[in-house]
Amino acid sequence: MAGVRLENVYKKYAGTDKASVTDFTLDIQDKEFLVLVGPSGCGKSTTLRMIAGLEEISEGKLYIGDRVVNDVAPKDRDIAMVFQSYALYPHMNVYQNMAFGLKLRKFRKDEIDRRVREAARTLEIEHLLDRKPKALSGGQRQRVALGRAIVREPQVFLMDEPLSNLDAKLRTQMRANISKLMKRLETTCIYVTHDQTEAMTMGDRIVVMKDGYIQQSATPEVLYNNPVNLFVAGFIGAPAMNFLTGQLVEEGGAVRFKATGVNVEVPAGKAQLLRSKGYIGREIIVGVRPEDFHEEPVFIEASPNSIINATIEVSENLGHEMFLYLAGLGKDNVIARVDGRAGVRENQNIKLAIDMNKIHLFDKETELNILETK
Amino acid sequence: MNKTRLEQLSNLLNAPVVPKVLSAAEWESEGGRKHPDIGDFIDFHNVCRIITGLNGRQLEVIEIVSSLTSIEKQLLAWAIKQNNSRSISDASELEKQARGLGEWIEESLVSGQWRAEIPDSIELRNRLLDGMIPFLLQSEHVEEKEPGYNELEKTIRTFISDDTLLIPLKEHEWLILTTDRVLSEIETDGEEVPDSEETKEILSSLAEGLYDLVTGEWGGECHVAAGEPFIPAESLVRLVGTLRETVFLGRKFHVGMHVHLPWLVHLERLLSGIPEQVRSRFVEEMMGRPDLFTDPETISTLDAFFSMDCNVSETAKKLYIHRNTLLYRLDKIKHEAGLDVRSF
Repeated sequence: MAGVRLENVYKKYAGTDKASVTDFTLDIQDKEFLVLVGPSGCGKSTTLRMIAGLEEISEGKLYIGDRVVNDVAPKDRDIAMVFQSYALYPHMNVYQNMAFGLKLRKFRKDEIDRRVREAARTLEIEHLLDRKPKALSGGQRQRVALGRAIVREPQVFLMDEPLSNLDAKLRTQMRANISKLMKRLETTCIYVTHDQTEAMTMGDRIVVMKDGYIQQSATPEVLYNNPVNLFVAGFIGAPAMNFLTGQLVEEGGAVRFKATGVNVEVPAGKAQLLRSKGYIGREIIVGVRPEDFHEEPVFIEASPNSIINATIEVSENLGHEMFLYLAGLGKDNVIARVDGRAGVRENQNIKLAIDMNKIHLFDKETELNILETK
Repeated sequence: MNKTRLEQLSNLLNAPVVPKVLSAAEWESEGGRKHPDIGDFIDFHNVCRIITGLNGRQLEVIEIVSSLTSIEKQLLAWAIKQNNSRSISDASELEKQARGLGEWIEESLVSGQWRAEIPDSIELRNRLLDGMIPFLLQSEHVEEKEPGYNELEKTIRTFISDDTLLIPLKEHEWLILTTDRVLSEIETDGEEVPDSEETKEILSSLAEGLYDLVTGEWGGECHVAAGEPFIPAESLVRLVGTLRETVFLGRKFHVGMHVHLPWLVHLERLLSGIPEQVRSRFVEEMMGRPDLFTDPETISTLDAFFSMDCNVSETAKKLYIHRNTLLYRLDKIKHEAGLDVRSF
């Protein structure tokens, strides 16, 4: 087993001025499950492909364990890959598909057999070993693709959107299976996805990327609760965090945040920090997660300084919870997540309280989280 | 010559050494021989050019920006020739035979003899009389990472079948011929012999597998074309020409794809036959400007959108982008071209 280290790695394609991956430095611990996440074109797959050896590294160093592997061919990196298009070999049955990589590396037949059967047992596909890929369902094929990687017993697993071809139900199920499997195998895993739910539920640590740069690298909890900038705040969480642009004013010894339809008091601790950083009188962006709006009377009563009134334009009832699309706050629609039994309806005016202890404050110019910036 | 060797040579000569590709005609116009060979050199404005490799009608040349003495030039030419002859003499018997066949295919293609029959002098001829499946593999590996013939041959044999031939064509290009018995080994819907559509589906999967295998082992980019089963002795040259054209069309019209199939590029072949000038004029007349749809992102977006029958959600899923990103791109096309690709 081994960790992976990237030191100031760049990827530049011929004929382009802009790097696809810029100054990427990251230390991935042995046995860690690391998720690379970000929007399309952010460089996450390119980074994974560089680790796999499928793309040349333009600048910087890549270590697997203690070895620099920039110029080592993929087959000699001791990695196993599972990609979105799990091209199973159509002329081989499941057993042969799983055994192929070992056969190529001239493993002994009994060792191949041991590994294939063990992996098949782990993935619960023992009964499929004689079948050809054509006779398998999507989920079964995906498990065979995983099996093909597992039998290699690599130092590092690399997975690029391995669940994208599955339907939603199977994806949820396989998500849990992969997490469990990686914990059991105790192998380093680097997993690429554009799906932030996958990232949040699977990763020990998540790296959020945008335009080839690392935005933040942290545990799911830290990313959710302490995003370093506006991008991470908006990217992690569904529905996304609401952003309200407004002004901070000092009134009667308290700091208030005023935006269209919003006039709330900033808690003392945060207010002190804003004062010390010279934000009073300036425009900032306040981020509120949908679940930090409250319609419960007890909460409203206890939060007289953070009440807002809005009109429900659209409501989506998911049964256990409801998404309310509110008009009249800030420039865009604001989404609140409330209890499914709240009994509210569209076009109704609603009184809500914001949990001000959980708001996020962003500098309007730099888009950095004011509370996280030193 | 790879980057490391170029740097070594540059340090040794204390002069810049730059790799170039010239046509035989350019070589001749600059004072070179009509039939150039590896090790030939010419002086051109205080620059010495030496041929390091031949690739069909193209010459791989290094350009040394320095006035070398006659002895230096001769020593350099001798070293390059030795390096070239050593790699050929080290080759296995099978590799030599395969290279011989590859050279014959290449010569026939260059001279336009697409229907040429394999002469008796080609030693592998007897292995080309039964039905085979062809694949054309074009790689873009840097020289030091490219697999050797034996390594690649063994890997591909392990992958498909022992009854497989690997034939080097140009540099970074191989023809793979494997027995068509592979098809009957794949379970079909109760039939012993797969029908045409099933065969095409299997060939596509095999080509995908081949692509994954080559990139997974050696990294780098590569392109694979697959053809339908045929008897090589009857139409080998034409087949190679078709597969080469398929890769060319696939790369031109289906940016981002690595597996190309001749039966999927009929329209592309037709479009490609229209001269560039006529095409530009058509686009300019229809859209008012000639530079539309040229960036790879727009092309791959449209390609995916049409292949998913203009279904926005499915296209977004295929491209791994958010639905809104796709809608934004389609709106941008509408704004720039005045064409709404969502409604014909």
